[in-house]
Amino acid sequence: MIKKALFLSIIFLLILAGKSFAEPAGSVWWKLPPLPPPELYGNILMDRASTSSGVKPVTFSHWSHRVNYTCRVCHFEIEFNMMLNTTMITEEANKYGRYCGECHDGKTAFGHTKENCDKCHNGNIGYGREKLKSLSNLPKGVSGNGIDWVKAMEDGRIKPKNYLRDENKPIEFKREINIESTWIGISPVLFPHATHGKWLDCSNCHPEIFGIVEESTEDLAMEYILKYEFCGVCHGKVAFPPNNNCKKCHPKMKNPGKRIDITH
Amino acid sequence: MKKISFITIIFLFIIVCLSIVFAQLPGFRKKRPSYHEYANVLINNFSEKNNIAPVVYNHWLHRAKYTCRLCHVDLKFKMKAGGTGIREDSNKNGQYCGACHNGKEAFAPGEMSGGKTKKNCDRCHSHGKKVKFEKNFYRFTKNFPRARFGNGIDWLKAEKQGLVKLKDNLEGKSHDKKRQEEPADEVLIKPKIVEMPQVIFSHKKHAIWNGCELCHPSPFSEEKGKNKFTMEEIFAGKFCGKCHGKVSFSTLDCQRCHVKRMP
Repeated sequence: MIKKALFLSIIFLLILAGKSFAEPAGSVWWKLPPLPPPELYGNILMDRASTSSGVKPVTFSHWSHRVNYTCRVCHFEIEFNMMLNTTMITEEANKYGRYCGECHDGKTAFGHTKENCDKCHNGNIGYGREKLKSLSNLPKGVSGNGIDWVKAMEDGRIKPKNYLRDENKPIEFKREINIESTWIGISPVLFPHATHGKWLDCSNCHPEIFGIVEESTEDLAMEYILKYEFCGVCHGKVAFPPNNNCKKCHPKMKNPGKRIDITH
Repeated sequence: MKKISFITIIFLFIIVCLSIVFAQLPGFRKKRPSYHEYANVLINNFSEKNNIAPVVYNHWLHRAKYTCRLCHVDLKFKMKAGGTGIREDSNKNGQYCGACHNGKEAFAPGEMSGGKTKKNCDRCHSHGKKVKFEKNFYRFTKNFPRARFGNGIDWLKAEKQGLVKLKDNLEGKSHDKKRQEEPADEVLIKPKIVEMPQVIFSHKKHAIWNGCELCHPSPFSEEKGKNKFTMEEIFAGKFCGKCHGKVSFSTLDCQRCHVKRMP
């Protein structure tokens, strides 16, 4: 009887092991995130409560906002979550100056008034797409919006605000982290805290997406990133996507990575 | 006997296999409560067992009127949700919530008005019910100084500007004591990671609302150098995390504590 049990459990283990080994080889390279055209990259339609309340969903373009504000202003200071439709934005909160209402008050940006409804509540994810042309003087990027936002900020072409209320400078943490790849033959990732710290605050990533101890990157793998987890929370949706851009994170990689641009 | 060992072996193997599969669960971002929900506590020790809706306790309205110390020291409320085990009897005897909610300091469970008794059950036992509260969070805090995270309010500043006046003594319940305005000095806490700015802990800012008893001797020893804790532990709700991140300002606001930058 015990022999039978052992036999059964070994088969069970083998099936599991076989499944995990077969998967990377079985799938055709990676399932890279599908990319919209540059002027729609990072655009979202917010519809947590709009349609159910009889108004059209809210269109939001990240690129039009990040020209003037760093990510931290909205995602740290104003507390917009990074997952669509999870922030409890309500008309009431907006009118009391929370969320969108922090800026859209008629002073900093257009107000939450009747004549302006259609500017946000229009249900059109491509609203204002033609305005990306006005940013064509910014340094070119490989994918995403086609703009190298980091370089644009370093060159002083754009000067996004760090905070709305707080005049303090953000914490400058400059440690570079070498993250070994889980695959043999793939060069390690060099993670620059300094570049990220120019746009984000510590708590945008820590401790919820990445822990604060070194072991917290142990489970990091490209397959999760491509499913919009870990780095993929931003890279693939708003910040530069991994498509055609392997070398940007794996700087020692020889292959520029054009071959893996297959979406399934 | 044989059958039992067979089942246990299979069971153990399944557990091992499942733990291998689930060990690699990727990191998700937790959903944060909105400004009006932050620090709300669901109290359900006995409510549902007695077919009453659980109590939703809001810190924001109470802390706009009373110091932390008054409830957590004088009235002996534990710092853990559901840890106090409040019963209706003790409330009626003037303990816990009943110390104030007696019709004098604050509304009582039932009030006489114009010859009729008005039942106030829903005002506390409100979980899962559509209750129209007297005070709306956003209207109540409209003029309060803003801060990020939590309730989105800078409570210290609000008190300084006189927008809230906190009561620290409850007659018959509190020891007659003066508010701790000038206690021990500031403490410099050095993080393990040298690039991180150092923490300046202000006794003064903490003691006005908490007194000494809320932090000493547990979780913090009074002895210098005896307190060793990590940020991980704080994120997990220990040490500073007992209040910060739950009721007082969030632990996500790094630079609010890590203020002393290295030259």
